[in-house]
Amino acid sequence: MRARLGVRLVIIFILGLAAIQVAFRPLSFVGRMPVFGSPALRMNLGLDLKGGSLLVLEGQDTPTSQATPEAVDAAMRVIEKRIDQLGVVEPTIQRQGLKRIIVELPGIQDPERALRLIGKTALLEFVDTGAQSLPEGAHWSADGKTVVLPERPGAPQPPGQTGATRSLPLAKKVILTGADLESAQAGFDQNSAEPIVHFKFRGKAAKTFEDYTGANVGKYLTIVLDNEVISSPVIRDRIPGGSGQISGGFRVIEEARDLAVLLRGGSLPIPVEVVENRTVGPQLGRDSIDKSLRASSVALLAVGLFMALYYGLPGLMAVFALSIYLLALLALLSGLGATLTLPGIAGIVLSIGMAVDANVIIFEKVKEELRAGKSLRAAIAAGWTRATTTILDSNVTTLIATGVLFLLGSGPIRGFAVTLSIGVLTSMFTAIIVTRAFVDAAAAAGLGPQLARLAGRIAR
Amino acid sequence: MTPRTWDIVGKRRWGYAFSLLLIIPGVIALIVNSAAGRGALDWGVDFTGGNFFQLQMERSFTTGQVRAVTDRFATGQSVIQKAEQELLIRTRPLTPAAKSGLLAALRQQFGEVTVLREDEVGPKIGRELRNVAIIGVLIGLALQVLYVSYRFKSVRYAMAADIALLHDLLVVVGIFAITRKEVNTAFVAVLLTVVGYSINDTIVVFDRIRENLAMRGREAFDRLVNRSLLEAMVRSINTVLTTIMAIGAIYVFGGTTVRDFAFGLMAGITVGAYSSVFNASAVLVDWHQWAERRGRRSRPQAPAESAVAPETTAPPATNNTPRRRRPRRR
Repeated sequence: MRARLGVRLVIIFILGLAAIQVAFRPLSFVGRMPVFGSPALRMNLGLDLKGGSLLVLEGQDTPTSQATPEAVDAAMRVIEKRIDQLGVVEPTIQRQGLKRIIVELPGIQDPERALRLIGKTALLEFVDTGAQSLPEGAHWSADGKTVVLPERPGAPQPPGQTGATRSLPLAKKVILTGADLESAQAGFDQNSAEPIVHFKFRGKAAKTFEDYTGANVGKYLTIVLDNEVISSPVIRDRIPGGSGQISGGFRVIEEARDLAVLLRGGSLPIPVEVVENRTVGPQLGRDSIDKSLRASSVALLAVGLFMALYYGLPGLMAVFALSIYLLALLALLSGLGATLTLPGIAGIVLSIGMAVDANVIIFEKVKEELRAGKSLRAAIAAGWTRATTTILDSNVTTLIATGVLFLLGSGPIRGFAVTLSIGVLTSMFTAIIVTRAFVDAAAAAGLGPQLARLAGRIAR
Repeated sequence: MTPRTWDIVGKRRWGYAFSLLLIIPGVIALIVNSAAGRGALDWGVDFTGGNFFQLQMERSFTTGQVRAVTDRFATGQSVIQKAEQELLIRTRPLTPAAKSGLLAALRQQFGEVTVLREDEVGPKIGRELRNVAIIGVLIGLALQVLYVSYRFKSVRYAMAADIALLHDLLVVVGIFAITRKEVNTAFVAVLLTVVGYSINDTIVVFDRIRENLAMRGREAFDRLVNRSLLEAMVRSINTVLTTIMAIGAIYVFGGTTVRDFAFGLMAGITVGAYSSVFNASAVLVDWHQWAERRGRRSRPQAPAESAVAPETTAPPATNNTPRRRRPRRR
């Protein structure tokens, strides 16, 4: 560690510049031409900062289908298609364990709608109900043998209230399903201007549809989504070409559009349930960034002032070292592709407090050496050597805590563990190497008396 | 020697008393809370499962009005809090229909309602998160205890550090029981960080004691500990001050979302620094004196004077230092 002072300062300077480049990328290259852009922090932001939804879905077993890993994979592909239509930038979808799917939707504007779209099985069935017309909202029992009618036709049932419902035995005779569709588009009915969904069956199914409608004129073809009746139109004529439309049940065009999205994506092979949903609206995300930026600058200012006032010149140097520390920390987080979360920012701020700790330990030891009558240089050297062991060792406990948090925590908490542990490691480096270089430089520049005031403060 | 010497070790009984004063209200709150049937701690949706909403309201509202609306859709006791124009609602797990019903009813009664944040945790996930949290805290504690034992190679030092640690955890949990702040996964992060910080503080103080023991003259153990404490004091106070300044800024300016998190950290870090100065070292001194008294009693042949002998004639330093070597097999 007896490298020449000048060399050390130059290396620190270069490292500082490199850190700025990595974290803020003010300089970029187009081909070989360097271009200076406005510096902006390059950091992956967590969903709690940029807003968005984290959904955990779990595949459910039904009497007819098992939530096997294959079925969950298939469900994942369907969900992927649906999300594509939501216009989310950079969604991530991954499987967790055997039955779970984790979906991350950053920056989503309408999480309610996303939830409706993603969680729905969307099994569309065209059911032959013979001469029986069914009201909207009627639904089949799980075994498909009886139909439960809603209390008042068309009125949604109040939650948690079963009341007296009528049911009638009626076997579900499925003619075609949503899987037979080639396309589905939302639009308006030309006559009534009602929102509708146009659909078109593919090849063979189109023929089945044509034959069936031809043979059953005057009967009812009931359209059922996830066991619930959407509409129950009467067949007026043979329908050639495999095209048709679903009307009724849509209060607004968005509902028709959502159904079209679901039909295009296909139905889920197994039902899924949302077991966890963490959503942060875009407004709160922006707000959190603003607030935590303000909090961080206040924290830095307060700590810096305290150090400068209490320790004088060396304190000021520690503050300089601290800014280099922050730069290095941001560069590391940016370079490692870590995700910054709200607790993560708290972790950075906490690590600022702890970074000061390392400096405090060093200064206190130098003070003692000075009081013991050593020369300034000898005191600095001895103080640093003694402090290094203490610092290394006291930080281990924090690293143990963050290690456990990193392994067991998820999302925001993991962000806290990452920033705090990287912060603690970086702070050791800056306190031991960077502050030392500054203090040595000050001693070499003849600022000895000012540095020695460190000891004077106690003697008084 | 500074002219005025603060005798912390001599007044250590006051330290114990103050610690009890910190711990007992929390323990009482824990007992009263469980007796009142509302849970010893205010478990958040992370651990119980349920729905949480943070809403921005346009019009003025009271928690009573909101409770009336919420109770129509949610079963069981819901938690409703108001922070200026922000409304926080915590309920048992809601069905999708009940959830949209609740939001619609709120909009109907209070006009524009913006969802700032929403958490929905299924009961099963809640159980899982709870198990992970318990395992996490246990593993974290076990690792720290192991590290301290390894670090000091002395049961006495390790136990003293662990007692201080237990004290800190009890105080933080007690504070959350009294204030009924939500206990969630972030709280687990608070606990583990406080554990790390508390031990860190204790290590710095104990380090100083060991350093002084190594060059010990004819100084009594309790005097030596007291001197070490005073020497480490500046560092302890300054570190707590800067850390509290930093995390205090988050508490004041960071917004509702991280306020409780910052609060827990501040409380834990303050208590951690307090206990490493006033408890951990005090336990060390008491243990030392107790062991000495016992040692004297087990030597019945000892001359009468040694029973009242000053402690400077106490067993050689090796008996107190943690650097005592034990035969180790490799």
